[in-house]
Amino acid sequence: MEILAYLAQGFAVALEPQNLFLALIGCALGTLIGALPGLGPVNGVALMIPLTFNFGLSATAALILLVSVYYGCMYGGRISSILLNIPGDEPAMMTTLDGYPMALKGRGGEALGLTGVASFVGALLATIGLTLFAPVLVGFAIRFGPAEYFALFVLAFATIGGVTGGNLAKSFLAACLGLLLGTVGIDSVSSVARYTFGWYELYDGIDFIVALVGLFAISECLVFLENTRQDNRPTMVVGSALPGVRTAWRCRNTIARSSLLGFVAGVLPGAGAALGSFLSYTLERRWLGRRGDFGNGDPRGVAAPEAGNNAAAGGSLIPMLSLGIPGSGTTAILLALLLSMNVTPGPLLFDNQPELVWGLVAALFIGNLLLLALNIPLVGLFARVLRAPGWFLMPMVVMVAFVGVYSLSNSAFDLYLMLAFGVLGYVLRKLEIPTVPVVLGLLLGGQMEYNLRRAMSISGGEWSIIWSSGISVGIYLFAIALLAGGLLFHWFVKRRPAVG
Amino acid sequence: MSEAGDLTDRVPGTVGDRIAGAVLLVLAVAAWWLSHDYTSGFGQSVGPGAFPRLVSVPLGVLALYLMLRPGFNQRWPRRAAQLRQLGMLAVLALYAGLVEPLGFLPSALLAVVVLIRLFGARWRQALPFGALLTSSLYLLFEFALGMPLPDMPGLDW
Repeated sequence: MEILAYLAQGFAVALEPQNLFLALIGCALGTLIGALPGLGPVNGVALMIPLTFNFGLSATAALILLVSVYYGCMYGGRISSILLNIPGDEPAMMTTLDGYPMALKGRGGEALGLTGVASFVGALLATIGLTLFAPVLVGFAIRFGPAEYFALFVLAFATIGGVTGGNLAKSFLAACLGLLLGTVGIDSVSSVARYTFGWYELYDGIDFIVALVGLFAISECLVFLENTRQDNRPTMVVGSALPGVRTAWRCRNTIARSSLLGFVAGVLPGAGAALGSFLSYTLERRWLGRRGDFGNGDPRGVAAPEAGNNAAAGGSLIPMLSLGIPGSGTTAILLALLLSMNVTPGPLLFDNQPELVWGLVAALFIGNLLLLALNIPLVGLFARVLRAPGWFLMPMVVMVAFVGVYSLSNSAFDLYLMLAFGVLGYVLRKLEIPTVPVVLGLLLGGQMEYNLRRAMSISGGEWSIIWSSGISVGIYLFAIALLAGGLLFHWFVKRRPAVG
Repeated sequence: MSEAGDLTDRVPGTVGDRIAGAVLLVLAVAAWWLSHDYTSGFGQSVGPGAFPRLVSVPLGVLALYLMLRPGFNQRWPRRAAQLRQLGMLAVLALYAGLVEPLGFLPSALLAVVVLIRLFGARWRQALPFGALLTSSLYLLFEFALGMPLPDMPGLDW
């Protein structure tokens, strides 16, 4: 019942007029950004970071705003998947498979209503899970020393490629590249300048925000420029979303299963929302098999990935808040925001700043209700945004990024660096080398090195301290198990293709 | 999820992955080499060079692996698209160079109008919407956020 007292305290924070207003703005903006094709939670939250700093918000308020944007993007991503067959972001990709066929049959409004409810249930369940499980994990993590933290970082990097699939070697390569980029600048322990080549602009290290906006927003625009001429989208009759609520009741078992699965996928380090929706859709299709009409507009095929990815988004906040280890690109950005506001996520955060943690949790409950209201009766408004032409939206994205970053540092060097990261991000995407591990490496490298050096100074230079405690051995074993499980799962899926 | 992606947009990465592997291998070797210069005087068990060395080893090994066993790439864009992409980078670099000497309004207007053109709009769309976007950005940052943008020379706006 201790949790209820904390929650009450959290609601007091979240219901302050400023925070309530930020949650509303964040939810609306997030849905909007998520609905735009190509812009997902990672881009959306990355784009909001410079603006957040410019607003001069407190850490709690900034986190409430950005997490509302995050949740909003997760809701909004489905809109363009269903109506245009273009996923707004990676997690919404599975929604196109049955969502677009539903829209073609004139059931677009129903699909939007149904996914609105599915998103709500998934996110609500995950938020409840966050409330219950984060304190448990904290109680466990409080005993961690530097060696255990180092193991935890290894776990995060080992699993990021294995669980999300794709080319494993490329994921690890990306993580190593990020870790190396993270060492640029003055070393905080010895004050030695590393890899700066005499450029004093690099002495503070590579600014995370600059790298992030470049890697995601600028490279997204470069991808968009590849084909600007294909602008002949069919106009879709949306219709009322309300019948979808009744459909949702008929899909309740699917939604419940998918939410649970998505939540578990989200909690795993290195996984995230894309895995949540992928797992939910694939397993639901397996489970129901011939009893469904999957691929041709089965409502359950729309409900499953949306419940799954929203639940995963909530679940991914657990390792970020309680361990300080982000599992996905978006939570990495949230972590970066907290670090740059001198808030260190991890077990101590729950003791030191309960108002931040529980205020955020309460804001998530409130944001979810707001999002349900925004996404069922008002979904037509957001669907209208999709008619805004790319030639206006993309220059706006670039310029907001450029002006935002410049007004933080007032340095033209940062703008050139951001362009360089944009090109890097684009080339990496073309090479199918994922960019999220680069970001995680860049962000976590400093902490990982710091913990390694602290552990080594405790042991007096004895490397065996890294694997000497039971907890760290357990973490390494867990990493290996996840890696093997991920490989097995992908082998299984590839052997009997269920998708496409 | 790459499995669900459009498979026709993928090409074997025999060339691209090998070049990338070679570049990353050079990077790893250089990082390893340079890390030996980073030493601290005091008796620290792990100096500033150790962690970069620790990272450059797997980086090099994986880069070598990528050269030997290349995977898949996304299809590279056509010439016309490449020119548009170069155009965007050039305009943004120009903006970064001009914003301090010329001030925000003229350099942003120039950049936005050219960007809108590059993204496929006509002049009669680019000019009014460029002006609209530039002035909204100016109002947002200068007044709503209170973050001063560079002024034009001799003026305070």
